[in-house]
Amino acid sequence: MTDVPVSRIRNFCIIAHIDHGKSTLADRLLQKTGTVSDREMKDQFLDTMDLERERGITIKLQAARMNYTAQDGKGYVLNLIDTPGHVDFAYEVSRSLAACEGALLVVDASQGVEAQTLANVYLALEHDLEVIPVLNKIDLPGADPDRIKQEIEDIIGLDCSGAILASAKEGKGIDEILESIVYLVPPPQDTVEEPLRALIFDSYYDPYRGVIVYFRVMDGTLKKGDRVRLMASKKEYDIDELGVLSPTQVQVDELHAGEVGYFAAAIKAVEDARVGDTITLVKQAATQPLPGYVEAKPMVFCGLFPTDSDQFEDLREALEKLRLSDAALQYEPETSSAMGFGFRCGFLGLLHMEIVQERLEREYNLDLITTAPSVIYRVTLLDGSTVDIDNPSTLPDPQERIKIEEPYVRVEMITPEEFVGALMELCQSRRGDFKDMKYLAQGRTSLVYELPLAEVVTDFFDQLKSRSRGYASMEYHLIGYRENPLVRLDILINGDPADPLATIVHRDKAYYVGKALVEKLKELIPRHQFKIPLQAAIGSRIVASESIPALRKDVLSKCYGGDISRKKKLLQKQAKGKKRLKAIGTVDVPQEAFMAVLKLT
Amino acid sequence: MTWHVAPLSDSPPILCPPVDAPRSAYVHIPFCRRRCFYCDFPIAVAGDRARGETSPRIQHYVETLCREIAATSVQGGSLETVFFGGGTPSLLSVDQVEQILTALRDRFSIADGAEISMEMDPGTFTADTLGALHRLGINRVSLGVQSFQDDLLAACGRTHRRVDVEAAIAAIQQVGLKNWSLDLISGLPHQTLADWEAGLHQAIAANPAHLSIYDLTIEPNTVFHRRYAPGDAPLPSDDHTTAMYRLAQHTLTAAGYDHYEISNYARSGYQCRHNRVYWQNRAYYGFGMGATSYTQHQRFGRPRTTHDYEAWVAAHEQQGGHLAIAPTPPGEQLFDHLMVGLRLAEGVDLDRLATQFGAAVIPILRDRLQPFVEKGWVGFAEAPTPRVYLTDPEGFLFSNVVLIALFETWGDRGN
Repeated sequence: MTDVPVSRIRNFCIIAHIDHGKSTLADRLLQKTGTVSDREMKDQFLDTMDLERERGITIKLQAARMNYTAQDGKGYVLNLIDTPGHVDFAYEVSRSLAACEGALLVVDASQGVEAQTLANVYLALEHDLEVIPVLNKIDLPGADPDRIKQEIEDIIGLDCSGAILASAKEGKGIDEILESIVYLVPPPQDTVEEPLRALIFDSYYDPYRGVIVYFRVMDGTLKKGDRVRLMASKKEYDIDELGVLSPTQVQVDELHAGEVGYFAAAIKAVEDARVGDTITLVKQAATQPLPGYVEAKPMVFCGLFPTDSDQFEDLREALEKLRLSDAALQYEPETSSAMGFGFRCGFLGLLHMEIVQERLEREYNLDLITTAPSVIYRVTLLDGSTVDIDNPSTLPDPQERIKIEEPYVRVEMITPEEFVGALMELCQSRRGDFKDMKYLAQGRTSLVYELPLAEVVTDFFDQLKSRSRGYASMEYHLIGYRENPLVRLDILINGDPADPLATIVHRDKAYYVGKALVEKLKELIPRHQFKIPLQAAIGSRIVASESIPALRKDVLSKCYGGDISRKKKLLQKQAKGKKRLKAIGTVDVPQEAFMAVLKLT
Repeated sequence: MTWHVAPLSDSPPILCPPVDAPRSAYVHIPFCRRRCFYCDFPIAVAGDRARGETSPRIQHYVETLCREIAATSVQGGSLETVFFGGGTPSLLSVDQVEQILTALRDRFSIADGAEISMEMDPGTFTADTLGALHRLGINRVSLGVQSFQDDLLAACGRTHRRVDVEAAIAAIQQVGLKNWSLDLISGLPHQTLADWEAGLHQAIAANPAHLSIYDLTIEPNTVFHRRYAPGDAPLPSDDHTTAMYRLAQHTLTAAGYDHYEISNYARSGYQCRHNRVYWQNRAYYGFGMGATSYTQHQRFGRPRTTHDYEAWVAAHEQQGGHLAIAPTPPGEQLFDHLMVGLRLAEGVDLDRLATQFGAAVIPILRDRLQPFVEKGWVGFAEAPTPRVYLTDPEGFLFSNVVLIALFETWGDRGN
């Protein structure tokens, strides 16, 4: 299986927007090459996590090796390397692209290019990949391949005269795609004789075998039993198991330059074998690692607290276990006067945060309270030193600091023209700086803004979708830090500061946010037997206030024989609801309230 | 008599009380001319011209009901109380009422001096029919007045009007029935405090022996639930309905009525004996569509449509009147006992509670309720017998808060 000349290897990936048919196309390629029999075929073979299947999106990438006999009569090995389709995982995408020589650009022939696709195509071109345009879903009544070809040429500058018309669903165009991969994608460089360098493009944690590492051999040869060094983590391991993905794991004895495979080496956690790290041999080590390795850098932070304080240790264990398979997840213990013991967690982005929360609740049966997401603020203190603040409640007081800087991102949106106004209004209301607007083709517009990341990690994406009736797409990347007049907005409930509700906001928006926040809290916090003042404050200055009137009665008016069971259920429901409340001072606050800042618009 | 010990790992055992022999019967008559806008009861709408004597559907129901009575196994002595509730029992003909009473007498016998109550709606009976019912043995009437104002009656979907109320009261007085009760609802849409005060005085002027004062509850699946949000106009605010509650308590107490239960008032000697059975969590039979019975620690709610009820009666006859349902576990019985018992002004007798559920529950109860004693919602009295009660009106108004604390202790246990 391994004895394939480098000249007969083709490594490629698929770049596509969600729903444009990437997974279906991958399935067809596996079927057509006989890699997976029709009988074994589950829809969307490459997406294995339940969560991915439910959401229909790819979160973790994987790979598949296919044997293909081309029309020239020669046998080729085609390695498909899957890429995640979400902006939170841009780094992982870049590492997958670095493992390929070519890419299929799959665009829905009825929809056109979307922002995320665009970002990934540019990334592919930067890596010198041969990009093959494929217009998918040509069987759909709304398909307009000529218009979409024109659009791809206009936006990306990619020649579409040879674009392949396909319908992955109906199996159309699959042969052409396979032939194009063979003839257009260049073979890897033949560097079999050089010292081993292999690029890790993915890894996952297997409870029985330890971390399974997916890699592409760039130079040299890797054999079973070899002792390897990971150049970034500086750890050394013996290769216990080496294999290829077809797409199930099949063991082999060696893999050489150009090939894609996996190995197991009793590695305890994925952070020891991070995506982007370079594998080399201990005995004959390469001098330089492969370029492009970056440490995982969380962009979004939130507090996770167990509803039931008895679950703190369970939460710690669950996070430890998740971290084994998710090197990008960061956490450290956090104590809050209001919430008790929990963890401050860092994530790559909002989707990553959502995935982790959902896995904690679903796979580890935890009941969690999540505080509103925050970004990292850079605060310069009076003595000129800087501190990074990821928790608003720990922001130093105004008299102790010189300035606050916040992360900015460049956001590119692609939208049908009629929603441009609505999206500009959204960006303006989120403190955005207009940068560029380009008319693309057929009534679609690209809009570029620079925005504070803090304004994007709230409900920006949801707003973008709702204001464009689902049509607009977006992509963002970090561009640096900027100083702004930011203040900490505190929330006081019945006079007690509620630190999980503290936020860092722009001075000009503090009044509006404070007012909206106390109004929202008034809706969410149940009435108590006393009047509850709700206040938003900057330092000692109250900027907005509301109050929840006292509960005057809580009584079952009627209760006769027939009512007893039903009324008891009512009380049971009330008792259960009470359990899910967190006490801030003498006020019981429901979980939703801690995310209230996300629901202000 | 058997005593079970409920297995509870982390606290003293709760004893299972001995089975109480039922001496009361609830009879459900589901028919109504229309469904009122606040009502979520198991009823069957029969139309504005419905009368028991002319409706084959009502007659058929009465026969099914009598079959259920005949099929029920006798577990206690003769009946001390019978309660015809609804629906609108006063839609039945005198003959149909007699038929049901005969069935009850034949099966269980009815004790001398038993309380036999019937819910009656203004506009559905005359002095003649009431006289005939009285001669059959109906000796207590609960009159569904709800309001003396036509606009408020119309706003809650009632078919009767003030003139019908006056006629009904006159009929009761003409028959000479002293033991009668008058129902009023507070918190109706558009109702003001002045409206409410006037209604209370009109009720007192009618001189009933007993009054039930219900604060309107917006139940799911009702017209009101679709139309209104609790606490929002045109419904009076919480502050207003609380004031109405306090006003009723003040006015009726001053008029010589005893506030003996959260929503009930009576002159001395006229508390409703039947309803006290519920509030003391004692056993009772239940007959008819949607009716609940509580016998042998089994709480059973019958099917809530006439069709399902009929099928159930047929099956019930086949099974020889046996109910195949699980008895209420002791912990839940204890919670039930407190939930209903604390509705009474006199509260719960602690000696009886200790005898029934074990002395170990008393210190736990005292401990759990101590914070509410400090708030002035709960009282413990030591003489003549030790008892625990909710204060009037503060404790009554926040009774759910107290009950939830007790629920957390006993209500949610898998015992």
